[in-house]
Amino acid sequence: MTEDGEVRLEVPASPEFLRVARMMAAGVASRLGFTLDEVDDLRIAIDELCFCLVGRTGRPGTVAIRYLMRSDGLVVKGTGHFADRANEEPRLSPMSLQILRAVTDECQVEGGPDGPSFRLLKRRQA
Amino acid sequence: MAFDPSERDELRQKFEEFAKTHDPVLRDQLVTAHIGLAEYLARRFTNRGEPFDDLVQVASLGLLKAVDRFDPDRGLEFSTYATPTIVGELKRHFRDKGWAVRVPRRVQELHLRLASVVGTLSQNLGRSPTIGEIAQAASASEEDVLEAIEAGHAYRFTSLDAPSGNDDEGTLGAQLGEEDQALIDSENRATLSPLISRFPHREQMILHLRFFEGLTQSEIAARLGISQMHVSRLLARSLVQLRASAEDPA
Repeated sequence: MTEDGEVRLEVPASPEFLRVARMMAAGVASRLGFTLDEVDDLRIAIDELCFCLVGRTGRPGTVAIRYLMRSDGLVVKGTGHFADRANEEPRLSPMSLQILRAVTDECQVEGGPDGPSFRLLKRRQA
Repeated sequence: MAFDPSERDELRQKFEEFAKTHDPVLRDQLVTAHIGLAEYLARRFTNRGEPFDDLVQVASLGLLKAVDRFDPDRGLEFSTYATPTIVGELKRHFRDKGWAVRVPRRVQELHLRLASVVGTLSQNLGRSPTIGEIAQAASASEEDVLEAIEAGHAYRFTSLDAPSGNDDEGTLGAQLGEEDQALIDSENRATLSPLISRFPHREQMILHLRFFEGLTQSEIAARLGISQMHVSRLLARSLVQLRASAEDPA
């Protein structure tokens, strides 16, 4: 099993390309031996976090995503590089918070000089 | 769909006559007499993101074909003959039109097969199977399995989907600060219940069990007696609708 490997992806910040980010997460997780339940959780988490960054209809710019493979699971980091409102603080709705708490082991969103970003950790069952 | 013996005889005569004459009036009568069968079968395909009325229309087309092709001399009950034709028509509808994103037939068929593969594996393993295990059991590659799962989420979200066009930042999050968790929790319950209460009962139950009770999709599937794939699909659809209502909280 690969440890400490990394996959990187940068896609336009629109729903059809964020779907690619979701599928990539599923592909990497599959390689790490995640179960179907865990892969589905991961897909839900990526959807929710991308929705937080770009909304339902997308926005001008890109989202750079890094998939960091670890022996115990997968860390996904995403950063939005947007032409508009680059410095805003991303906020998770109460529903999103509730969802993310159920489907990830760790999760946060924050603003930063490069743009709003998220980080999640999904552990694999032993 | 039970006819009494005299009705049955009458229909049999009409079928025999229609087979010879192809009289359109008889044809209409035969279709009307069996429309219940079309509705019954269409109902089995609801919960896939297509309006029931559309499904009845598709099923009726299948019924019409069955009436045209039925040969009463072969001694088969019409309903026995018609059911696979109607179901075939419904399945074709989902294959050809129900997929928002073009999905290769190979992947669509794998998708239809996966529900039972996953069910059997989960039962044998006593846990959710890995993608690798599913691929092996289905004699497919991991990529094909992932694509087939993804395809299940690609149904059109028709009438239920809230219209967009209001792109301002009207999210619930915009009203929230970074208060302590307890406040967010109590706020969550208050804010989330009305959002979720709009869903059909089964979807409400699934959302509640997954996100509030922390059950896995497999556990929910077992509890509700449906497949994990189906739970996954219903969840994905509900979440799309939730996000839509978060953006357009009307």
